[in-house]
Parts: sequence; structure tokens; C-alpha cells
Amino acid sequence: MEKSRRNFLKNVGKVTAGAVTVMTVTPVSAEPKRRGGDPKHRWAMVIDLRKCIGCQACTVSCSMENVPPIGQFRTIVSQYEVKNVDKPGQPVDYFMLPRLCNHCDNPPCIPVCPVQATYQQEDGVVLIDNEVCVGCGYCVQACPYDARFINEETKTADKCTFCYHRVRVGLLPACVESCVGGARIFGDVRDPNSEVSKLLDTNDVKVLRPEMNTKPHNYYIGMDEHFEGKVQGESPIWDIRNAKGEEIEES
Amino acid sequence: MNPNIIETINITRAAAWQPWAVQYFFLIGTSLTAVFLTLPAFLMGKQSYTKIGRLGLLTAVSCGIAGVVALLADLHQPGRFWHFYTDFTAWSWMSWGSFLLPVFLIALVLYAWAVYRPDLGRMAEQPGTILAPLYKALAFGDKPEGWLVRPLAVVTVLAACSIALYTGMEVMVIKARPLWHTPFLPLMYLFTGMVGSTGVCLLLNRIIGDGDRDAERGLNRFLLVALGLMMLNGALWFGSGWAGVSAPAQRALASMSGNKEWITVAVWAGLSAIVPFVIAWFKPVGSGVITGLIAVHSAWMFRWTIFINGQMLPKTGSGVYPYHFPLGSEGLLGVVGTFGLWVLIIVVLITFLPWDGRIATPDRAASR
Repeated sequence: MEKSRRNFLKNVGKVTAGAVTVMTVTPVSAEPKRRGGDPKHRWAMVIDLRKCIGCQACTVSCSMENVPPIGQFRTIVSQYEVKNVDKPGQPVDYFMLPRLCNHCDNPPCIPVCPVQATYQQEDGVVLIDNEVCVGCGYCVQACPYDARFINEETKTADKCTFCYHRVRVGLLPACVESCVGGARIFGDVRDPNSEVSKLLDTNDVKVLRPEMNTKPHNYYIGMDEHFEGKVQGESPIWDIRNAKGEEIEES
Repeated sequence: MNPNIIETINITRAAAWQPWAVQYFFLIGTSLTAVFLTLPAFLMGKQSYTKIGRLGLLTAVSCGIAGVVALLADLHQPGRFWHFYTDFTAWSWMSWGSFLLPVFLIALVLYAWAVYRPDLGRMAEQPGTILAPLYKALAFGDKPEGWLVRPLAVVTVLAACSIALYTGMEVMVIKARPLWHTPFLPLMYLFTGMVGSTGVCLLLNRIIGDGDRDAERGLNRFLLVALGLMMLNGALWFGSGWAGVSAPAQRALASMSGNKEWITVAVWAGLSAIVPFVIAWFKPVGSGVITGLIAVHSAWMFRWTIFINGQMLPKTGSGVYPYHFPLGSEGLLGVVGTFGLWVLIIVVLITFLPWDGRIATPDRAASR
């Protein structure tokens, strides 16, 4: 009895000393740390705009795979009709622009999260723990690509995960798998022999909104400067007008 | 190439911060700046400002409590609010806010208690008061008049400043929204908050107060200062964008230029500042209801414009996202409900607390 009490007191002393040491040695982290994932990889996507035909197969397959609520999307192909004002006789052209989370190396969505629900893995994939997320929407505001949204069913932040549930078992993201023209190429930029690495070595690639210094990891081949940032164009989808310029109301 | 671009296919992103956020920022801005109105009376001891101080204190407490409810409601997972306290995140302004806000509210309630404490003691002595034991307990014995008022005023005003800092910074750090990403924004929140809280005090003075003319004159004078600062700050923001000195302001103006709705909003905001300024300048007495109403409207509308209209500007796509004001709890019902809650809090406070310091003496009570 005496011995066990002595041992108990001895151990209490050790635990207390240990706790004090940990508390004094471990400073409060000043920035988010990456967690999970394999640091041997850095997943990225190359999107060859020359091959995109705007069929939205990626949009549909993503929705089939990840089942966001109807009307909410993790990826979409924005489409634009382009006319050259200087050459009025020239026929109009179309520009297809697949959009999704850029899994940035400097993601502005992560440091704003007040509960560390959104985080980046060692392999660069940005994820959301939707059991921790409080649905404050702060990350939605911080993303410069409008890639995030509040899922109407789960009431938490949602976005593209590069189909991490597929990638970690050796499959491709659903959008890449289903891309008809082979415009979306996915792989590991830390592997010099991967297709994405070779494409990055041999092509002039651009990223969206480079001025934001987010270091996106979706690289576009065939990108035009007019579409890199906020597209300065007309948006007739929500605002349909007749020949006189009057808004056509829903009947 | 000089292209003419028409966006034919894209998606809209719904506003993640709903009208609840507008309500929170309005109420907390009103609350924290109302604390400033209490300082001449209760920190500096200027008797002539006592009425304004008491109106300010009632505004601060009522708006502060209602604001927290609005903030919780803006979370899409309000039941998980405790995650803020189990996952403190030093690099997130919102996380800091979750700790600063209760500190502010506790300090504010204690400050109000210290101001009301002597009157609570007098209320306990009134015959027939059912809550007399409670009032007596709250009066905390035979302490001198003004006990703890000054230290608590200092703590509360420091906490109020921390709320002004966190609410301003929380929105300012969003680089992705040029309308928000400017150092003019935290100042604008502060100045429009001052406009709003003065407006609320002017209305309360007339509606539940005794319509004191000196208080009205003083509040209208304070309103002139707040409106002046607000207009100056707005003009500096606009000028910095116009002249190209501030890149975010320039980008924000570019994304709004030519849009009829934004032009209407800008003209309306300008009038909401100029009209009460002119009235308060030329008729500081007898105009409190008008200047107060317009001031409240101005402060609220600024937040609506920043949050709701700001979220209608796509970050990558063309044009403007459509926004349909929902009639349910995510829209109209939420806005009306929050104001309803605020009115209820006011009713409870003025029913049970000696907010204006007017206590019926036993003699007066007996003669009724």
C-alpha cells in the first residue's frame, strides 16, 4: 500500500513534469499544418483546352460519383461565345473552360477556417472534414475561384476532392475517367515520368488568377489571357432580354 | 484581339453568408459603438450626458444579445458552435471572434449591472415588489454609488474595440472579394456602426424615453460626427479606386461599373448620409425620429450592400449572380425575427431593470 502510494506520487510527478515540458516546448502553431496523405506524391491536373468540346461529361460524371444536391456542382465547364470586334465578318468562336477546385499550394480557404475542418494533405489535396465543419461559409468567401459552396443537404462546405476516395485506391478522378476528348489529365507532378509532368515540361501552361498567388495545381494548356481571371463578358443566362433591351420575365 | 465575350453556360453560387450575417454585423456594430456613447457619463462622470449614457447602455446590451442569436443562425450547422471552443485556430479571425465575443458580452452585462446597481437597491425597497429579493441580491449590499462602474467601463470599451477589430479584419482579409479587401472597410464598419447606434438611441429617446431635448441635441451632434466620418471614409475609398491608388478598390469599382443596380445603391447610400446630416445640422431638436430612422437605415443598408450585393459579384464568371430574397427564415423571416427578438429584449430590459434611473419612490407609489 505504502509502496503503491509512493509509486503513484512518483508517477504524478513525472506526468506533471512531462506536461509542463510539452506545454513549454510546443508553441501554438501560427499557421495551418498539412496532415494525412503521402508526401511522395503531389497530385495535379492538366487541362488541355484544345481538346475540350464542352460536352459536360465531366460535370455529369462528377455529380454521379459525388452526388452533390441537384443544382450544385463540384465541377462545371463554363462556356463562352467569343466574337472578334475588329473582324466583324469572322464567325463566332466558342471557348470551353473546365472549372474545379485548384488544390492550391497556398490555399486561401484553409487559414480562414475557424475550426480547422478544411485542411491540406501532404500530397496537396485540399479536403473538408464535414463532421467538424460548422458551415460558417468563411472558406466559400475566401476561395478566389468560386470553387466552394455550402452543400444544401449536409449544410457544410463542399467542393472537388480530386475524387480522393478513388485516387487513394489507384483510380482516376471521375471527371478524368469520363472525359471524352482526353482533355483532363491527372497525375503526380513529383513523378518525373508521369503524363502530367511530361505535359508540364513540354507545353506552355497557365493557371487561373495567377495574381492571387495561390499556386493552383490545375494547369491549362491553350488558355487565353481573357479567361484567366474574372471574365469581362456579358452574362445572358440569368438576364434574358428581347431585341428592345427589355428583360424577358419568366411566364 | 478585341473580343466580345458572352457567357453562355455557367453556374451560380448561392450567397454563403445570408441576411443573418447582415443582422449580426448590424447588431454587433450598433452594440459596440453604443458603448462609446456611455463613456462621457459613466467613465468621465459628466452628469449632463447621463441620459445619453443610459440610452447607449440599453442599446449596447439589447443589440449585443440579439446579435449573438443572429450570428449563431448564420452558421449552417448552428448545433456545432461548440467546435469553435474545442478547435481554437490562432490564424483565423473568426476563431478569435468566438472568444472575444463572449468576453465583450460578459463585460457589457457587468458594466450595465454596475450602472444599474444603486437603482436596483432602491427598487428592492419598494413595497409590493415581487422581485425584491432578487433586486436586493443584485444590489450587492451597501456599496458606494458608482462602485466598479469606471473599471468596468474601461474593460467594456476595450472589449468593444476588440470586436470592432475582429469583425473588420474578418471581412477585410478576404482577398478574393475586392469590395471587402480594403483597409477602408473596418473603418467603415466602425463609422456606420456609430451612425446606427446613434440612430437607435435617438429613436429610443423618443419611443421609450422622455424625449429629452438635450439628449436629442447631443445625439444629433454625435450623429453629425459619425456621418461626417462615414462620408469622408467612403469618399476616400472611392477616390483611391478612381485614381488607381488602391488596386482592390479599383477592381471593385470595375466590377460594379455600368451596373444600374449598383449606381442606384450608390446614389441611395449617398442620400442616406447627406439627408440626415443636413437635418441634424439645421434642426438638431425635434428631428430625432427622422434622423434616427434614416441613420439606422443607412447603417443597415451598408451591411446589406457589402454582404449580399458583394456576394452577387462572381469571382471568375461574367455578370452578376441573381439573388432572390427568400421569404423564409433564410431571408425576410430571419430579418424580421431578429428585429422582433431585439424588441422583445428591450421590452424585458425596460420592464425589469431601472434602465433610465427613474424609480418611483415609496411615497409616490403609495399616493397612486
